[in-house]
Amino acid sequence: MVTIEVNGRELKAKAGDMLIEVTDEAGIDIPRFCYHKKLSISASCRQCLVEVKNAPKPLPACATPVMEGMKVFTRSPLALAAQKGTMEFLLINHPLDCPICDQGGECELQDVAVACGSDASRFVEGKRVVPAKNIGPLIATEMTRCIHCTRCVRFGEEIAGIREMGATGRGEHMVIGTYIEKSIDSELSGNIIDLCPVGALTSKPFRFSARAWELTQVEGVAPHDSVGSNLHLHLRSNKVMRVAPKDNESINECWISDRDRFSYQGLYSDDRLTVPKIKQSGEWQDVTWEVALDMAAAGLQEIGEGEQIATLVSPSSTLEELYLAQKVTRGLGSNNIDYRLRQGDFRLDGAEPAFSWLGLKISEIENLNAALLVGSNTRKEQPILAHNLRKAAVSGAKVHFINPLQLELNYTAGQQLTTPAGMVQSLAAVAKALGATGEGAAAKVIDKAVADDDAKAIASALKDADKAAVMLGNIAAAHPDYSILCVLASVVANASGATFGFLAEAANSVGARLAGAMPHLLPGAKVAAEKGLDVMKLQKLPRKGYLLLGAEPGYDFWDAGLTRNALESADLVVALNTHTSPALEAAADIMLPIAAFAETSGTYVNTAGEWQSFRGAVKPLGEARPAWKVLRVLGNLLDQEDCEYTSSEQVRDELASLCEGVMPDNSVGKTESADLQSAVDGLIRIGDVPPYALDSLVRRASALQQTKDAAPAAICINAEEAKKAGLADCDSAVVTQDGREATLPVSIDANIPDGCVRISAGLAGTETLGAQFGEVTLEKA
Amino acid sequence: MNALTNYFKSLFLLELFRGLGVTGRYLFKRKFTVMYPEEKAPVSPRFRGLHAQRRYPNGEERCIACKLCEATCPALAITIEAEPRDDGSRRTTRYDIDLFKCIFCGYCQESCPVDAIVETRLYEYHFENREDSLMTKAKLLAMGDKYESQIAADLEAQAKHR
Amino acid sequence: MVNEVCLRTLDLDRPWLLEQYQSRGGYEMLTRILKEKTPPEEIIEEVKKSGLRGRGGAGFPTGLKWSFISRNAPGQKYVVCNSDEGEPGTFKDRDILRYNPHQLVEGMIIAAYAIGATQGYNYIRGEFWEPYERFEAALKEAREAGFLGENLLDSGFDFELHAHLGGGAYVCGEETALLESIEGKKGQPRFKPPFPAHFGLYGRPTIINNTESLASIPMILKEGGPWFADIGVKNSGGSKLFSISGNLNNPGVFEIPMGTPFSELLEMAGGVKGGRKLKAVIPGGSSAPVIPGEQMMDLTMDYDAIAEAGSMLGSGAVIVLDDTNCMVKVLERMSYFYHEESCGQCTPCREGTGWLYRVISRIENGQGRQEDLDLLNDVAARISGRTICALGDAAAGPVAGMLKHFRDEFQYHIDHKKCLVGAG
Repeated sequence: MVTIEVNGRELKAKAGDMLIEVTDEAGIDIPRFCYHKKLSISASCRQCLVEVKNAPKPLPACATPVMEGMKVFTRSPLALAAQKGTMEFLLINHPLDCPICDQGGECELQDVAVACGSDASRFVEGKRVVPAKNIGPLIATEMTRCIHCTRCVRFGEEIAGIREMGATGRGEHMVIGTYIEKSIDSELSGNIIDLCPVGALTSKPFRFSARAWELTQVEGVAPHDSVGSNLHLHLRSNKVMRVAPKDNESINECWISDRDRFSYQGLYSDDRLTVPKIKQSGEWQDVTWEVALDMAAAGLQEIGEGEQIATLVSPSSTLEELYLAQKVTRGLGSNNIDYRLRQGDFRLDGAEPAFSWLGLKISEIENLNAALLVGSNTRKEQPILAHNLRKAAVSGAKVHFINPLQLELNYTAGQQLTTPAGMVQSLAAVAKALGATGEGAAAKVIDKAVADDDAKAIASALKDADKAAVMLGNIAAAHPDYSILCVLASVVANASGATFGFLAEAANSVGARLAGAMPHLLPGAKVAAEKGLDVMKLQKLPRKGYLLLGAEPGYDFWDAGLTRNALESADLVVALNTHTSPALEAAADIMLPIAAFAETSGTYVNTAGEWQSFRGAVKPLGEARPAWKVLRVLGNLLDQEDCEYTSSEQVRDELASLCEGVMPDNSVGKTESADLQSAVDGLIRIGDVPPYALDSLVRRASALQQTKDAAPAAICINAEEAKKAGLADCDSAVVTQDGREATLPVSIDANIPDGCVRISAGLAGTETLGAQFGEVTLEKA
Repeated sequence: MNALTNYFKSLFLLELFRGLGVTGRYLFKRKFTVMYPEEKAPVSPRFRGLHAQRRYPNGEERCIACKLCEATCPALAITIEAEPRDDGSRRTTRYDIDLFKCIFCGYCQESCPVDAIVETRLYEYHFENREDSLMTKAKLLAMGDKYESQIAADLEAQAKHR
Repeated sequence: MVNEVCLRTLDLDRPWLLEQYQSRGGYEMLTRILKEKTPPEEIIEEVKKSGLRGRGGAGFPTGLKWSFISRNAPGQKYVVCNSDEGEPGTFKDRDILRYNPHQLVEGMIIAAYAIGATQGYNYIRGEFWEPYERFEAALKEAREAGFLGENLLDSGFDFELHAHLGGGAYVCGEETALLESIEGKKGQPRFKPPFPAHFGLYGRPTIINNTESLASIPMILKEGGPWFADIGVKNSGGSKLFSISGNLNNPGVFEIPMGTPFSELLEMAGGVKGGRKLKAVIPGGSSAPVIPGEQMMDLTMDYDAIAEAGSMLGSGAVIVLDDTNCMVKVLERMSYFYHEESCGQCTPCREGTGWLYRVISRIENGQGRQEDLDLLNDVAARISGRTICALGDAAAGPVAGMLKHFRDEFQYHIDHKKCLVGAG
């Protein structure tokens, strides 16, 4: 520690810290543009010049390390003259078009200009003009306003991990851009909007629609992945106008993914369900809540037998909604509730961990020395976790993937590309290389495995690392042999001394377990005396009544076709949804409009087991109501006991008391079945869920749907397999899965392993197909 | 003594005659009553009357939806909605001035960076329906189109005071 | 006492060849050092004694620079030679590369030996194609003769030297921008500290010296530091190459002892062209403030004397202006150069150089205003001392100097919208 003096005030600081960090900590304001706490120091804007005693020139506070006894003056005549000088230079070529600039009112340049600028310019020459660039549907550019702070450039290099922006040209001709016109495709790209201190990079969907001073800021939690990024929702006249990150050093630092930032557009799509509707002789009619709820309650009661009722809930629902959904379901005498809509293998039920989680804190990921990710495309599934993993990899961690897709990564990692069945073998080989034998079915699989060089490399990386982790991602969770992968991963982790963890699929996957939204678990992750049927059985053995919460048939289920059959054969389908779609309208009998993200209060439990509650920011659109209220009234109408909640906090607190003492635990039991359901004779479908097809909201976020990651459904296949299937040179083909067909365009993709065809799920055109991972046949269209 | 004087004053209606004297004096002086509406008082170029929105000579509307008038309006009389027009320019989709709220302070005109919103010298207007009190964008632009030459002349005249 | 050090082989036929260089005792010093395993500290001590100051322009003592490198630090270290001679008026390094490349190679090997580096780079200005070829040829000869490569002369010392042709940016003559350029990045100066001695090429300890500094090393070691120091005057040891240009009868490069009177140098250069009156001299390359002719005639060419007169010796590029030169035009041309060559990284230089150029250009073209002169001074003052590298100072320096000594010419331009020179 050293002692320095700033403006006569004594400050303690860590030796080697930069002056600006110390003054920021102490609340002493020094103007700056290029400096950002999360980016490398460039010291190029020269706005933070301050006077340091005995230094001949003013020094940049962002690049001056503190030294014992240093005397600093941030507002002395010398410092102010330097700051004013820089401001004048910055403004001579800045267009000063604040009236038409979206940054106006929240612009760092404006703020500093008020503090250090002059009221008139001495510059009478023509100003520099730089053409705006089209860098995609998310970010609007106005490069004439750029002050060359290079924050966006450094963000690309250091945080996003792809150098998408750069500086070309010299001196006054220096231009920030992409050099060749292209879109910015990073999944974190939206953050450069926040980073840009001027209006050069602004949000395209938000463009011109509101002013900073008109917006009210409310806190929220991101609903699209299991990170639970903290958000600031910016509202104007009961409408979410845009979303920005809220700093939370232990979760999302100061970043959010594009999905969390731009999904709000889906709130105002034309598909939004705003009035309760009932289907009468095939026609949909708008009705009042009373009518709709009475009908729903009567219909459910009419079914009579509890086990004929199934509740299928989306894991993006809040903890309160999930808890009440299971309460209502169990109150009807049914244990048939499940949130695992995208899971296809339930052989581990009962032996899997009840309160499964990441295994470590999110902020600990960057300290890992080695990691093995099985069936995970973290970069698209949990972008913020991927950013943390990249930090670890960049500082030397050995990261390996076992995947049925070759990933585009932004760091060096080992990737084992193999078929779904091959994934099981590869993981077993790693276990074997570690000398583990396993029990039950795992023992059989490991016994048969051959520890090749790749497996040995992964094994030694995990074993030699100080801190290592083995994690299962979303692709693993949807894998037909999830139970075996889970057991094997646990064996690998135990044998190598690594932490075993789950990259939970959705915002509240972890919470759903705690809320008891599972057929064999009660709230508080307690084992139920009577077990219900899992989501797959609930569809294979169709029930008479279904209650859907936030789940869209055709898009949100593992086997889209199966879901459709099950729902269409049911007597009653009550759907609590935010949006409507033709598939939902075909399947449902009663549609109850519920509040979407930002409209309801609630709680999410993220993959690190942290409970984060949030309040409703805006009133639900139209007649929509928060789902917890709808479920509570449904409970009342069904004459259920203890259903008199008046706030979501009450619901949460009741659940919290049930969860007291429940600790996260990833210990996996054993599975007896060693049948590889993923072993097929023909082609197997890789039905991953693209990031912008994840849930009802994202699927309707129009700007996100124009990005590169939102490609329409296609048959992606490698050239070799395409040739074998006779599709080498055709534009589209017919896919047949479980007797159902779809015609989709063909795309030759070298990232797909032999024996596989990637037909992503959740996209329009795939709602008629079968399982996310299942045998398919291809035929020329 | 005082009471007696007052008695005589009221008895002979002295105050009345003194008052009539004033009337009589002005009866023969030059008249300054303005016979509105046949006659009208002179109006300053800086008069703050009914609002108008101006256009550029090429017909393009001036307003760029910066919302400074909305922000500065002390009576919260202005409501603006904006979005990119098809050609990508920043334009209002709604620009309402509630004349029941407006206090005709002229701050909107002062704050406008492009001289789009102005207060004209027009003060003769009426509403027959309550909703007519809302000056919509269309009405404002129509006002501007109609009185542009007068507005331009007034702005020119007051330019040196700004 | 001319052509004693760097140009000592100039009188030979094709002096750039190895045999010619060796005929004058070339590579003898290197051979002796490698044979005797002279302790590096002794070499650095000798260089310190010589009083050699960096010949690139800043004049930082070379021996001191070398002593900053921690010789025993593990890992790669580098020796880099800065032959990116871009300063307008300077052309001395070109002649060393053309006529005596081997002395530079020998100097660099000795420098590498002194700091324990095994890799070296010579960053040659992009436009110097002929010197580049000469240097490459010299490297080939040296490699064949066993002066470069592994295990030099069986001493166990390895050193490989690479020539790197620059991309044509003036700013790459700034040492850290030069390093960035060698690394394949955009040539932009780095913020210092850390200095290259600690964090240099590829993040490793690096010494960067000017061509002339490194080429002087073999002679300093051969004849001894004090010999070199005695050639010059106090604080300015040795001889120096002066590139004298401008309105002269015989412009060129002259190697003369430090402290030689300017009048003598002018005489060597054949005096002012056409016998016209000496108006002004820019003594150290375009970034040095101008000195009026009469004052200059009384000065000697060494660091201290020129600094006392309010300018700097810089790289020894003497630009001579006579009474036919319009100072506004001269300044306009120079400010255009800095405007074009600013790298654009930091604000004052990126925006300020363009502003300076535009204002001066306006004055030159008869559109100046009275307040422009103060504006120029003010803008220059706002650039200097506030930039990452010295380019900002270099752009601001001439403006202040010109306005100090020739304000009347600028005033005339503003008042009469035409040039004082030739106006009678």
